[in-house]
Amino acid sequence: MFFCLLSAEISPAAQWWPIVLPLLAGAAAIYLLLPRPRAYPVLWGAALGLVALMLAGVLLTRSSVFSPETILFWSFSFLAIIAGALLVTQHNPARAALAFALVVLSTCGLFLLLAAPFLMATTIIVYAGAIIVTFLFVLMLAAHSGLSDADDRSREPLLTTLAGFLLLGTLLFVLQRYDQRIQESTQEIDRLLSRAHEAAALNSRADMEEKIGKPGDDEELFNQFNKLFHTWKDLHQRSEQASISWSNIDHNDPRAVEKSREVLRDLVALGESARYRLGWLPAAADVPFSHMSGPPPTVASENIRRDEQGLPRMPADNAAYLGRSLFSDFLLPVELGGLLLLVATVGAIAIALRRS
Amino acid sequence: MVALPLHHYLIVGAILFALGLIGFLARRNLIIMFLCVEMMLQGVSINLAAFARYRGNLQGQAFILFIVTVAACEAAIALALILMLYRRQHSLDVSKWQELREPGEEATEDTEPLPPAPREPPLPHLTPAGVEPEHQPEESHV
Repeated sequence: MFFCLLSAEISPAAQWWPIVLPLLAGAAAIYLLLPRPRAYPVLWGAALGLVALMLAGVLLTRSSVFSPETILFWSFSFLAIIAGALLVTQHNPARAALAFALVVLSTCGLFLLLAAPFLMATTIIVYAGAIIVTFLFVLMLAAHSGLSDADDRSREPLLTTLAGFLLLGTLLFVLQRYDQRIQESTQEIDRLLSRAHEAAALNSRADMEEKIGKPGDDEELFNQFNKLFHTWKDLHQRSEQASISWSNIDHNDPRAVEKSREVLRDLVALGESARYRLGWLPAAADVPFSHMSGPPPTVASENIRRDEQGLPRMPADNAAYLGRSLFSDFLLPVELGGLLLLVATVGAIAIALRRS
Repeated sequence: MVALPLHHYLIVGAILFALGLIGFLARRNLIIMFLCVEMMLQGVSINLAAFARYRGNLQGQAFILFIVTVAACEAAIALALILMLYRRQHSLDVSKWQELREPGEEATEDTEPLPPAPREPPLPHLTPAGVEPEHQPEESHV
């Protein structure tokens, strides 16, 4: 699955500009806004940044679904990105720390959307509550009036912006390709499934055969399914079996129509499970995984319980299940984390101690 | 109803990561550099939470808890280090420490001078309103 994702040929400019356009605008905005002794007007950078954000929202995601969830997602992610840009470009370090608090809070909103309420609480307490407040103390201790080398200069603003946006561009390019492949494959499966459904709705064997196509033809439904399943061995085997049992049905059998419908129903079930397998890398079957953190990666994706949106079901009692996972699967890492905290406390005290 | 595709969350995580990288490389204030690193961690956390959600598995969330633990340790150590560095140089500028660079590297110099700080408006000069009246020192009988 992944190899065919990477080896597929890159089509010309059509795929590039939805990524390059917002990236260029964003890079220009960050470059203009980075602190320097003779600053550019803030308004140019801010306007360019907003344009980049809008372009990214429209071109990169192309989503037209409006539900409370999507609206919350958009607002939290826009807030996070804007606050992140403020943190990078703000002269006044105290304001930058507050912008970081905003990044943390909107990330916590995203955590809530991703069914992780315990993490949301932890992150707010640890980051917004502890880390930012202590750093604000240090900032106030070190505060001095007027401009300073530390706050009003940047190191190599052009090269830095280029490096960061080059990284972002490659990441976005891979993600975009991945999404495109999955969408194309989903559409293909849906097309074949609707053909199978239409064929199953017909009332005579001859009509069904006409709908499905001549055996041996490339356009025949079973051949198309076989071609689609070439990366999944088990599905491929089962669709070939379905094809054989389809051709074995006798025309003069009085139950020919029911039998054909049964074969088609099996085929539809195969197609449905293939839809859930797209973009899902399975683990090797002989690797030991426990069930303590939810269904292990060895479970096939079509066997996972899903809600009406097609997402896997998560336990409502997030904290309890997370605790169960931590103290079974991750017992040793939890102990090591405790040890790390102890060592860090001792180290921090040792470093900060005034030796006089 | 169709759920949001996974790659939307991955894009947000990637953007936060790249912004944090730019901030870490470009800014010179030690504390802002530290906050940018924390923002990169936030981007990674969004990725992990999204994968946990779309796999129906809590392992990603457990990873984020460890990220938070490590971030807390990192904050403690970084705070101590920054305090120590500030005591030596009385500035949060990293470029003050550029003698730690590799041998053979050129030192970076700030060629463009900082503009003079805007002068604060002088305080108004008030004329004395009158002669302070004489009064008896207060007595207390506690």
